[in-house]
Amino acid sequence: MNTATETETDTHAELVAEIEGLRVEIDGRAVVDGVHLRVRAGTVTALIGSSGSGKTTTGLALLGEYPAGARVTGRVRAPDGLVGYVPQHPGAALNPARRIGALLRDIARTQVRHLPRRERARTAHERVLRSLALAQLPDSEALLRRYPHQLSGGQQQRVVLAQALLLGARVIVADEPTTGQDALTKQRIVERFTAVAREGIALVLLSHDLDVVHALADEVLVLRAGRVVESGPAARVASAPRHPWTAELLAADSALGRTESHTMQADAEPEPHPHRPAPVLTSGPLTARHGRTTVLRVPELALRTGESLAVVGRSGSGKTTLARCLAGLHRDHDGLLLLDGTPLPRSLRDRDRDQLAAVQYVFQDARAAFDEHRPVLDQVARTAVRLRGLAPAEAAAEALATLTGLGLTGDTVRRRPDRLSGGELQRAALARALLARPRVLICDESTSGLDPVTRRGILDRLAALLRDRHDLSLVLITHDLDTAALADRIAVLDAGELVEEGPTRTVLETPRHPFTAALLGRTRRAPSGRTA
Amino acid sequence: MTPAALELKSRTEKGGSGLVRAALIVGVPLLLALLGPLFAGEPGPRTASFGLGGGHWFGTDFVGRDVGRQVLLGGRSVVLVALAATALAYLVALPVGLISALTRRTWLEELLMRPLDVLLAVPSLLMILLVAAVLTPGPVGLAFLVALVNIPDAARIVRAAGAEAAARPAVEALRLQGETWWRTAVGYVGRSATRTLAADAGVRLTGVLYLVATAAFLGVGVEPDAADWAVMVDRNRTGLFVQPWAVVVPALLIVALTMGGNLLVDSALAHRKKRRHT
Repeated sequence: MNTATETETDTHAELVAEIEGLRVEIDGRAVVDGVHLRVRAGTVTALIGSSGSGKTTTGLALLGEYPAGARVTGRVRAPDGLVGYVPQHPGAALNPARRIGALLRDIARTQVRHLPRRERARTAHERVLRSLALAQLPDSEALLRRYPHQLSGGQQQRVVLAQALLLGARVIVADEPTTGQDALTKQRIVERFTAVAREGIALVLLSHDLDVVHALADEVLVLRAGRVVESGPAARVASAPRHPWTAELLAADSALGRTESHTMQADAEPEPHPHRPAPVLTSGPLTARHGRTTVLRVPELALRTGESLAVVGRSGSGKTTLARCLAGLHRDHDGLLLLDGTPLPRSLRDRDRDQLAAVQYVFQDARAAFDEHRPVLDQVARTAVRLRGLAPAEAAAEALATLTGLGLTGDTVRRRPDRLSGGELQRAALARALLARPRVLICDESTSGLDPVTRRGILDRLAALLRDRHDLSLVLITHDLDTAALADRIAVLDAGELVEEGPTRTVLETPRHPFTAALLGRTRRAPSGRTA
Repeated sequence: MTPAALELKSRTEKGGSGLVRAALIVGVPLLLALLGPLFAGEPGPRTASFGLGGGHWFGTDFVGRDVGRQVLLGGRSVVLVALAATALAYLVALPVGLISALTRRTWLEELLMRPLDVLLAVPSLLMILLVAAVLTPGPVGLAFLVALVNIPDAARIVRAAGAEAAARPAVEALRLQGETWWRTAVGYVGRSATRTLAADAGVRLTGVLYLVATAAFLGVGVEPDAADWAVMVDRNRTGLFVQPWAVVVPALLIVALTMGGNLLVDSALAHRKKRRHT
């Protein structure tokens, strides 16, 4: 997408924002240390690095925002009030009590004051619709009447982007913009951001989605533990990384793409199973509703012991709703759930301890799923105390062991959730579910917020769990076909309907439904396009 | 649109000076109210109404009693009744509000909240006067009565603040862990609503003080010539321009009590938040 001529002109483009020698210290620990960053109009600067490497802290510095109680030194120069921010979890940035239309009109109204009174409302409305169209939100008239919680995570993010565009931001900081987005939307986001950059807006991309970074970025800064280990033009960094850490990041990403050699599939591969294990969790024909609208309609589904099932679909396709129905978090459905052949209460609150422990769910937004007042370790350990009757000390020791196994230090997990990065919290959330010794583990986009190295680590860890614990079954909710390819079976959802279901290889190689083919075509094309 | 350069300074934290100031403002009337009667001493002979001087620091009141002594005596009833009424109101409102915020049974929520709505529709002073006319309550009865009229408001606020926290994924995660109702409701939902509730408690205490004072002024729960800050403000109004102290001193004490209470809660919360982040 970034041709040679574009990179040529970039160096002459206007410098709109600059960070010099930024150092942010919390509790005497440097989160960001000596970061230099130059942002030019019409270019895309990507900050890459694993979770907790200081990407978000650096990005927020452009807005003049710092973590509470932080000691900040260095210089930040940015256009006053014209820096837009699209956060990783955009839901938190939208006032839950107001409709999307009202949220956007508030911004538009300030820009039409110079017009005669009669024309203001109409012009503001036009501006709102235009910004929504720019942010790739079709059917915007209906969308304007909805509340933020009635949108999917992907749609919320596009609304926040629309707000920034409407504001006329000179610089837009996008924190993990493609996290939680399906392949088709991801492709559109890349196109959208390219167009945004073409209009002369400087884009700062905080991401560990290397596909997107390659497709978009002109300049790349590689961060590790708050320091810039490498920086330079995107093409150079990708083709000839100078720092070993960059090389490792790139390697982990391409390894993830090659799914055929992966382990999770290996032991379940022989297609007609020698003796098929009994289903652990089955759901009868299931119709789920949100209020009066039916959002999901799936025929019978069975999850066998030791099996992993990936539920794939675009954002808003109902895959999270399906997961929540199984976990007992969404009651408004008519499906009959059976755990080992005995009925499983529809609501979590009617399930007993063993039933709760048997089916565990890992939330998509890990930060919101933790109590902000208590240390993470305590919260993780409570699972074992409540569901397995362990003594608190025993539970804490086991929690610590599980967390350490997922790559979190004891020092980190003794902090409160606001001191942990999104990726660290996602791993802690996984540990919290694992401590129940679940028989069915439902992971809702659990790896989407992670950098390639950590994501690979988690997926390997899940694969190892499946191998070691024969009674564990896995439901992976994901938009990412590379992640889905690790499962034994794939179910594809589109607009609340199950369009295809079958063994992974069959679905990926010979998709029967045109939607699956479309989804497949997009993801397959992206990696081949960039390695060339 | 010119980029504004901004130099960043290291952020240092402020001490808890606000906390001390608030504690002083609320401490004076509170101590005076609680310990005042110990230092009041024997009543002196009555002199002329609304007099100044003659050994009386703050002059005399409408029946010629020493204002200083009346002030010392008059805080206990107001303060104790107001504090007890606020505490009682929350004692009922907290469980009712939290239960209806966390339940998924609509009928239970309706059962708990609807009767309170009926109570809410009756003007509180009218209610107090009505009950007082039938029962003629003492200070304890007055505390119960004032608490009763405050329960609907407080319960609604607890429910609203709690409902927001109860809808968060964190609560679903707690349920998924099989966490106890107590830990979920009080440990998480209640704790998340603390700021809202603390702000409400401050305002409510002010409202309760006002209501207790008004009730006292109307003769509910106290004698019409009782040593009571609220009664003093009312009875001595007539002599405001002759002898202002008899009104100003008790009025200032009531103001300091309510304002100081609010400031104290505010700065305590701010202080705790700051400590958490450093």
